[in-house]
Amino acid sequence: MKLAVFELTDCGGCALNLLFLYDRLFDILEFYDIVEFHMASSRKSKERVDVALVTGTVSTQRDLEVLREARNRSEYLIALGTCATHGSVQGSVENAKEAFRRIYGDIKGPTKVLEPRPITEYVPVDFAIPGCPYNKEEVFQVLMNLARGVEPVAKDYPVCLECKLNEYECVLLKKGIPCLGPVTAGGCNAQCPALGLGCIGCRGPSMDANIPGLVEVLKKILPEEEIAKKLRTFTRW
Amino acid sequence: MIIELDEFTRVEGIGKAEIVVEDGTVKEARVKILEGPRFFEILTLGRSYWDVPDLEARICAICYVAHSVASVRAIENALRIDVPPTVEKLRELVLWGEIIESHALHLYLLALPDIFGYPDAISMIPKHGELIKEGLTIKAFGNTIRELLGGREIHGINIKPGGFGRYPREEELEGIAKHAESLVKFARRIVGIFASQEPRGAKAEIPMVTSEYLWGDDLIVGEDRIQYIELDEVPVNYSFAKHTYYKGKPIFVGALARLLLKEKYIQGEAGRLLDTYKDKIESRYVIYNNLAQAIELVYALERVAELSNKIASEGIEKGIVEPEEKSGEGIGYVEAPRGVLVHHYRIEDGKVVWSNTITPTAFNQGMMELSLLEDAKKMYGSVPEESLKKKLEEIVRAFDPCISCSVHFVRL
Ligand code: SF4
Ligand code: SF4
Repeated sequence: MKLAVFELTDCGGCALNLLFLYDRLFDILEFYDIVEFHMASSRKSKERVDVALVTGTVSTQRDLEVLREARNRSEYLIALGTCATHGSVQGSVENAKEAFRRIYGDIKGPTKVLEPRPITEYVPVDFAIPGCPYNKEEVFQVLMNLARGVEPVAKDYPVCLECKLNEYECVLLKKGIPCLGPVTAGGCNAQCPALGLGCIGCRGPSMDANIPGLVEVLKKILPEEEIAKKLRTFTRW
Repeated sequence: MIIELDEFTRVEGIGKAEIVVEDGTVKEARVKILEGPRFFEILTLGRSYWDVPDLEARICAICYVAHSVASVRAIENALRIDVPPTVEKLRELVLWGEIIESHALHLYLLALPDIFGYPDAISMIPKHGELIKEGLTIKAFGNTIRELLGGREIHGINIKPGGFGRYPREEELEGIAKHAESLVKFARRIVGIFASQEPRGAKAEIPMVTSEYLWGDDLIVGEDRIQYIELDEVPVNYSFAKHTYYKGKPIFVGALARLLLKEKYIQGEAGRLLDTYKDKIESRYVIYNNLAQAIELVYALERVAELSNKIASEGIEKGIVEPEEKSGEGIGYVEAPRGVLVHHYRIEDGKVVWSNTITPTAFNQGMMELSLLEDAKKMYGSVPEESLKKKLEEIVRAFDPCISCSVHFVRL
C-alpha cells in the first residue's frame, strides 16, 4: 500500500511523532511504501496513495492547495492531531486578520493568510485522530488495521475514564487543581493527571461533553474568564 | 531570471528559496518562510502565568523543552521565583536530553542522506542499516529523558514555573547515566563522518550564544554582551520570518556558535574530538554546524551521565516555589538545539499582558540568505541547475532550521 504524509501549518509534532515509532516504523514499512513525507524524505511524487495522513491547520492558501491535492490523491484520508481535527492553539485565535495585522504590521507575506481552521472544515475526512500530539500507539494501530482491511474505531470516552482505570487520584476533586479531563476525549492514557497535573484538554472535546457541569465545578477554583480561556486553548468549542 | 528552489525537504516546517540572477550573475538569495502564522504572542495575552509554558511548548515539537524552559525562566525572572539548585540541574538535564534527541534526528535522519547520496534515511537501511539504527537508538534515548522530566516525548507539561510536577526517582536517574555512557561510542562514529564535508556556506563572522552553556541572563555576540533588544529585527515582504542583525551584520546561532564561544566547557572525549577537528570548526563555514552538532552530541551524552549521577547522589528537593511578586517583567534566554531562543513577558496580577518570542531559525535568516548567496555565486554557471538547487538545499539543511518556530514578526 502507498502512504503519504502531508504537513500544513503546525509545530511539526504530529509528523515528528511518526518518527518516534522507532523500530515499529519498520513494521509499518512492511505494509506501506511511504511515497511522500517532506520532513523525512526528499522523495516527491504525484501518484495516488491508499492512505494520506494530514497534519496541521489550513492557515494559508498554500495549505489549502496541499490539502485539496491530498484529498484528490488519496483513498483514505486521516486528520492527524488536534491541529487537523480541531484547530489546536492557532485555531483558537479569534479574528486572525486582526491578529495578523497586530503581529506583522502591513507586511503582505509570501502567500495569502487564511483564518486558521481544522482540515475537517474544508474536506471530508475518513478518520480523525486527535491529540497535541496524538498517542503514537493509536496511529500505529490504525495504520496496521487499515493494512489488514479493518476499519478503525474512534475512541469516545473522556480522559476521566483513563484516570479511573489507572487508579490515579482525582486531581480536580481531591486536590482542587483545574482539570479538563471530564470533557476531554480520552486516548492519551491520562498522561497529565499521572504527573499530578490537570488535563489541559489537548485532545479536544469528548463526545457528549457536559461543559456547563464542568464549569460549575471549576468556578470554585478559577474566575470565569480564565475557565473560558482554558476551554478555548485547543479548540473554539 | 529567478531560480526557484522547491519547498525544502528533510527540515521541519514549510519554506523555500529563490536565487535572483541578473545579466548572468547571481544578485540575491531570498529565503521564503511559507509556514502560516500561529499567533503565539497573542495567544499568551491574558493567560495565567501558570498556563503559559504549556502553550509556548507548542511553538515547536523538536525543541518543546527549550520553549518550556525559556518561558519558565522568563516568568521566574518577572515574578521573582528563586528555584533550588536541583531544579536548575534537572532543567539542564532535560535540555541535554532534547539536544540529544534533536541532534540525532538531524544528523542521522535528515543530513546523513546528503553525505551518502540518498533521498532519505529509509532508503539507506539496506546498506547502512546499522548506522541508522544507532541514530534511532540515540534519538530514543534523548526522548526517554524528555519523557521522564518533561512529562511526554512531545509537549509534556511537567516543566513548571517554580519546579516540576513530578520529580524523578534516584534509580531512574542512575539508569539514565548508565545508558548515556553506553551510547558515547556510537556518537563518536558520526563525528568522523561529518568531519569529511567540504567547506561550504558563508562564514559565521558573528556567532551569538547565551552567557552560560545552556542559558544565561544576557547574550554574547562576538565580543560583546548584550540584551536582545539591541539587535535589529527587520521584516521582509517575501517571508513570514523577520531578519535579525547586529550592527548591520547577520548573526549565527547554533552548535557551531556554541563551540566557537564556549570551547572551555567541552571536556572529556568531546574535548578531544574538538581538538582534532579544531581547524574545521574555526574556519567558521556554516556547513560545519553539522560537525559541531556531532561533537556536541558526544558532549551531551557525557554531560548527561555526569549530571544524572550528581543529582542522584545529592538528593532531590521537591515541590514548587511560589512567586514573590504578582507583577513584573522578565526575559528567558535558552539554547535550543539550533541556537538561542528568547521569551520575554510582562506580567500583571499573575496574567501575561505583553509577550515576545524570537527563535533560533529567525535569528539565522540573514545568515541563511548570505550562505545561499555565496554558494550560488560560486556554483552558478559551472554546475547544472538541478544540482545547484540540491547543493543549496543542503546548505539550508546544515542550519537545521525549524521553520514553524520562526514564524513570528514584529514586537507587540
Ligand atoms: S496537534 Fe499539536 S503536536 Fe500536532 S502539529 Fe498541531 S500543535 Fe503540533
Ligand atoms: S491528559 Fe489531557 S492534556 Fe494531557 S495528554 Fe491527555 S488529553 Fe492531553
